[in-house]
Amino acid sequence: MIRVFDQGIEGAGLFMIEFGDIVPYFSVYTATLFTFAIIFTLLATFSIPEKQMDIIFGGDAYYAKEIKPQDLRFQRFVAIACGTATLGAVVTGDIFNFTLFAAMIGITNIGIVASSRSHHVLNAAYQYGIVAMIACVPLFGGAAMILATTGTLSIWSLAGIGAAPILAKILLLLGVMGEGMAPFYIGKAEITRAQGAPFILMVHVSSLLLFLRVVEIILVI
Amino acid sequence: MIRRLSHILSDFDKLSQIYAVLVIIVIIGGILTIPSLEYQADRLYPKTIHPESPLDPYDRGGTPFEKTEVLAEYPENSPYLGYVTAYLTPFSLALATLTHHVGTTIVAHPGGIIDEILYNTRGLDTVVETSILFVAFGVASFLFLRRDEE
Repeated sequence: MIRVFDQGIEGAGLFMIEFGDIVPYFSVYTATLFTFAIIFTLLATFSIPEKQMDIIFGGDAYYAKEIKPQDLRFQRFVAIACGTATLGAVVTGDIFNFTLFAAMIGITNIGIVASSRSHHVLNAAYQYGIVAMIACVPLFGGAAMILATTGTLSIWSLAGIGAAPILAKILLLLGVMGEGMAPFYIGKAEITRAQGAPFILMVHVSSLLLFLRVVEIILVI
Repeated sequence: MIRRLSHILSDFDKLSQIYAVLVIIVIIGGILTIPSLEYQADRLYPKTIHPESPLDPYDRGGTPFEKTEVLAEYPENSPYLGYVTAYLTPFSLALATLTHHVGTTIVAHPGGIIDEILYNTRGLDTVVETSILFVAFGVASFLFLRRDEE
């Protein structure tokens, strides 16, 4: 059962939490991701959004954009939820549990982007929502295929035996690609400078950590 | 060619279509490899269907508060494995004796997700599933109420 810590990518095993069939583990690799996620969740919790200035062209005037308190509260709530989902996704020791956390990251990312009031940002959020919904098919399909072909979902049991079919791995990667596509939309729709910028950071961090984790899972199983 | 591709990629409305095409390609390629995959019949979480039971397809057998045989990956982590498998509240027990469709009702309504907790071994899944629902409802109600106040 300790085989998972023998995999090259993991590094030394630190400890594990015995939680029924789902046994989250902290190796050097996952603990690093976990620390990153904690730091950025705390940043999102305690930061306040920047107030942007719009300069009126040709004149000597400018005005500051207001962010309503209820928008701020909502964005902070979704950003913290996103951070929590990321914390779970990077340490969980179970494939189905990982896909659930990935789906939750997708939904919270939609929430962070959708709390903006700008029209084109909402349009981008809608498009990203469609991608995240499509991504559920390969994501959960990959997990289901692993359960059907190996009889287990635990990364502990799957580690190092190479029993998981390559198709399931590709589907898993494809699903995470869809759920973690939010930064692409943020780049395209120029949301980085939208209102509530510190919470947008959470979108980038969560999708980056999700990709790092899925690469680890694919290499280990 | 590259210019045409980058023109398509520059429009974020097209990203979902590109992603869907990618998924279709992988799934079509994947269907070809399915005959080479082997189905593991002795898997965890087996499910037997008793069509005559009022709790079908929810029936996991066993008597309440007695130990039932339940398969688990790591039984040493779940000392109370199999003790909550057959529990019904008095109300649902009464319903189960009256009608034939209690199991379908449990599975079909959102709380049916709680069904998973009866496995006992996969408790974290239940927590995450309900959190997903909660966050999704939160986002939807926020967007809906914001439309109202404007």
